Amino acid sequence: MKKIARVALALAVVLALAGPHAVAAPEIDALTGHAVAGGKPMADVVVWLDAPSAPRPRERRFVVHQRNMEFSPRVLAAPVGSTVDLPNNDRVFHNVFSFTNGKPFDLGLYPTGASKHITLDRAAINRLYCNIHPHMAAYIVAVDSPYYATSDRTGSFSIADVPAGRYTYHAWRSGAETLSATVLVGDGQPLEISW
Amino acid sequence: MVSARTGRVLLLFLALTAPCVAAAQDVAVTTEADITVGRSTADDVRAAGTQLRAFGTLPREWRFYAEASWADQWGEKSDAFGSAYPYNHRVRPVEIYVERTSTSPHSLWGTRVGRYRAPFGLYNRSDHAYTGFLRAPLIRYGGYWALSNNFLETGASVVAGTPRLYGEVSLGIPQDEDDLHRARGFDRVGRVQASVGDVIVGASYIHTQPFKEQFWAHGDTEFSGVDARWMRGGVQLRGEWIDGHPFAGTKTFGGYADLMVHRQFMGPVTAVLRAERLDYEAGPFSSYPRRYTAGAKVRLSSMLVAHVNVLHEPPYDHDAAETALDVALTFSLRR
Repeated sequence: MKKIARVALALAVVLALAGPHAVAAPEIDALTGHAVAGGKPMADVVVWLDAPSAPRPRERRFVVHQRNMEFSPRVLAAPVGSTVDLPNNDRVFHNVFSFTNGKPFDLGLYPTGASKHITLDRAAINRLYCNIHPHMAAYIVAVDSPYYATSDRTGSFSIADVPAGRYTYHAWRSGAETLSATVLVGDGQPLEISW
Repeated sequence: MVSARTGRVLLLFLALTAPCVAAAQDVAVTTEADITVGRSTADDVRAAGTQLRAFGTLPREWRFYAEASWADQWGEKSDAFGSAYPYNHRVRPVEIYVERTSTSPHSLWGTRVGRYRAPFGLYNRSDHAYTGFLRAPLIRYGGYWALSNNFLETGASVVAGTPRLYGEVSLGIPQDEDDLHRARGFDRVGRVQASVGDVIVGASYIHTQPFKEQFWAHGDTEFSGVDARWMRGGVQLRGEWIDGHPFAGTKTFGGYADLMVHRQFMGPVTAVLRAERLDYEAGPFSSYPRRYTAGAKVRLSSMLVAHVNVLHEPPYDHDAAETALDVALTFSLRR
């Protein structure tokens, strides 16, 4: 009986010490914001948060179409490890390649209806071109974070399910310097990004 | 039947109304302009050309494409710079069509109606221009009794199959915009294409009419061809072999092999090599030209591309060997 009492007491002590930490989940919030350049709303701005202790981003599959002699979307943000399909939806051949600092590749020509893919194996800004059609260009921004978003036409973006806390954020857009600063998630204040 | 004048009017109409249509029905329209200037040391040929094109989407997954071209050459008559467009100092409508294509991993079908390049062999817009060569292959240049890149068909084509194996059939009438025009008649063109891994192979057939300006040319024009291409890691090898007769009593056959290299260390440069031959058998008028080309396409910016080609033709018949340097600069705009 004494033994049972000692075990119960020990359990009570453990629960009393660990309980609040084990039971209370971290506060989850969404980080919303707005991106402008020269005072004008900017679409296709990629925003991501440094979160080295966050769970590894879930590897996903994305698509960048080649349609009507353009890449669509022109800017794609995706976590490292993801696969990006590049289907040719035109009746002409396309030859997608990227020689920038990310993952260099040249997929060669492939015909209508065919698709090839790349895997994003490290964080980088990948600039895509077509070796046939000089006006075709796109970016794939590979981020090493589960917390990222791309701004829409109004410049608005939203990163869902971010644990509250202070983060370093990065904001990238085509042809401009990447901005970095800190942001406090959970205080209800939108993040205003301005070039 | 659509005459050349009607085609030009249609093109002008499209160009003028496209922005209005876009605004009214949320139709996406993209316009492009290419301006090319070039010079060849062979016969001191100078050339300038421009292509204007509008393309985009229409309701219900239809797309449209319209292209007009103006180009001219100074100096001796030459095939320099004539890879894909007529050089005859006139504004010409080239391709004008609407199309609809449906693709999935297991099916491909599409239709195209209007005026378009004959779907024979490596006819694709990605093949006949912008790939680093400033001249059409001998076997794809009408002036050499061959199957011209500038053969235009007015009619309808249907594509069916899968992305890995499909067939294309075109029925139409010839409507060329080059200096030479095929006689009126009913054209049949067919093509099958298969791709496995890095290899794409195709076989094509065309039945058409000879050029009407060549009054001695009788009978039909008929060509068959096979083509293949292999690509890996920025290296592409492609070629065509075509055999047929441009008119009764003659025979034309030949082919070419192209090597195109675009590796990472080369940055904006694509290097190209071509070896080709053409045999035209017509008794005392026979000719057997051979040609070798080395060159490069240099992408200077998203709007500016430079081309340099060095050609060598060994001596044949009574012609001496010839070596030429072709250079060209293309400025492109898109809106």
